Amino acid sequence: MDKLLEVKDLKTYFYTDDGIVKAVDGVNFSVESGKTIGIVGESGCGKSVTAMSILRLIPDPPGKIVNGEVLFDGKDLTKVSEEELRHIRGNDISVIFQEPMTSLNPVFTVGYQIMEALMLHQKLSEEEAKKKAIEMIKLVGIPRADKIVDEYPHQLSGGMRQRVMIAMALSCQPKLLIADEPTTALDVTIQAQILELMNELKNKLNTSIMLITHDLGVVAEMSDHVIVMYSGKVVEDAPVDELFKNPRHPYTIGLMNSIPSLIEEGQRLESIKGAVPNPLYLPKGCYFYPRCKFATDECRSGQPKLREIAPGHKVSCFRAEEVTK
Amino acid sequence: MEGGEQVTEKNLEIEKKPVNMNNNEDEQEILSPWKMFVRKFKKNKVSIVGLIILIIMILSALLAPILTPYDPYEMDYSKINEPPSKEHWLGTDEVGRDYLTRILYGGRVSMKVGLFAVIIEIIIGALIGGLAGYYGGWVDNILMRFSEIVMSFPFLPLAITISAVIGTKVEPQRRMYIVMMIIGFLSWPGLARMVRGQILSLREQEFVQAAKALGIRDSKIILRHLIPNTVGYIIVSATLGMAGAIMSESGLSFLGLGVTPPTPTWGNLIQNAREVYILRNRMWLWLPPGVCIFLAVMSINLLGDGLRDAIDPKSK
Repeated sequence: MDKLLEVKDLKTYFYTDDGIVKAVDGVNFSVESGKTIGIVGESGCGKSVTAMSILRLIPDPPGKIVNGEVLFDGKDLTKVSEEELRHIRGNDISVIFQEPMTSLNPVFTVGYQIMEALMLHQKLSEEEAKKKAIEMIKLVGIPRADKIVDEYPHQLSGGMRQRVMIAMALSCQPKLLIADEPTTALDVTIQAQILELMNELKNKLNTSIMLITHDLGVVAEMSDHVIVMYSGKVVEDAPVDELFKNPRHPYTIGLMNSIPSLIEEGQRLESIKGAVPNPLYLPKGCYFYPRCKFATDECRSGQPKLREIAPGHKVSCFRAEEVTK
Repeated sequence: MEGGEQVTEKNLEIEKKPVNMNNNEDEQEILSPWKMFVRKFKKNKVSIVGLIILIIMILSALLAPILTPYDPYEMDYSKINEPPSKEHWLGTDEVGRDYLTRILYGGRVSMKVGLFAVIIEIIIGALIGGLAGYYGGWVDNILMRFSEIVMSFPFLPLAITISAVIGTKVEPQRRMYIVMMIIGFLSWPGLARMVRGQILSLREQEFVQAAKALGIRDSKIILRHLIPNTVGYIIVSATLGMAGAIMSESGLSFLGLGVTPPTPTWGNLIQNAREVYILRNRMWLWLPPGVCIFLAVMSINLLGDGLRDAIDPKSK
């Protein structure tokens, strides 16, 4: 398969008054066209910053992409001009944001907000754009599309707004869709509908999806490939089946153990003890060792590198071979 | 078993009804911000009075040619300094011009100066506030320091100086544009600060990032996405600003540094009151324009207060 997006050794740092926060520290991954990649991790481990770095949407200052390449269709997005990047944003790569409540501009109709990208990128006339907007609203499963098009965001429910966001993101038929926790703010039934919708549209339009989430269930459902992030680094990178069958990083295992099981009954859920380390004061060795059950002296002093332990399965842990569920 | 089924059916029916009702209510009851604003504004009787007075004044200024048969510049030396009569409701001035006509046309000029001064104020204020708020950092620093400098000029001495320097080179008919610009260019900093404050908080909202992610350029984000979100505040500040601008114009014209005769404005019509004889014996020459300024400024202020209360979501 050809690679649509390739992120190489990406480093995004935030220069704060207290010191340098290495939000993303040497991340490598790639997205194949028509596939879905899931990025998993706790809050604050750099998932969103990775995604926003791809489109250079990091607020600068204080944020800065200090190193790395983001190859999209052969172009390095960290180097292209602002002008060129604007043509890619919304057209080739679009984003669905976490918060449907605040991601729409309250003073415009939802139709206008969908039309805006169409008129900008596809050079459609206002009429054509409106037709297309109605079509997109229908596509994401909102009834009464011809009326909704003229309504304001406050007139819609959260689920509908998220659908509008998806309609907006997909209106220009992007090659890559970055979905930053698209269902976190929604209730469970709507979550399922939205995910199904994204899957359906992916198949219909052959869009690649980069799905950012902390919900392993969603990942299992949606992705072809998964990367697990911790403290700005990729700790495990594997195809979805392999990852769930054979997780090799203690952190991944911890995440999996903290999901309630439908099969086994009556056991307490395990949690990963402690919290994500303060990015200003990262431990010297492996970032995960203070919370790791398997930690040894080696983990305390040296940082493990990402290495391939099985075809397509990479882990950054010294004891990956010994670690089991 | 049968009984159980019946119960569930009934439950279903009960559940269905309120759902439908909710749907209907949703369709009818959702108020757009605009409707909510109108509804709130209507409750404020004092502001409605202000609005009505203002509308009457604007209409009478606009319809001046229909309302009076006289020309504001036509002199009639056979009727100098006449007291109010049937033909001249407010008498005539020292060269025989109909005074009511002068006041109506003067209102035109005064309100026009107020309006355009405010438009200049809004354009500069919103633009500078928008740029400063959106970009922040050194752009913000420079623009805000600049606006503070403008703000710290004492208004009257500066306006008088500018008017004295530029004003003499301009024909009397054009002086009103100079006055507009002086007032407009000196009064924007307050608005700029307010818009900046609003935009500082708006730009952190996700829809701005969403707009960026759609590839919309910064200038369009500021003008089309952010400034319309502050329009309520701009309208309020503009109404109050217009009252201030009318006052400033009157003040300058009264001092002979604003719009100068023969162009009539309320401010230079009151100039008559500077002569003690007229002040004592010909009240109709200075009282009516004074009342006009008072009514205009008061009604605009009442309207502005009402608008502010209606726009502020926290007021009841």
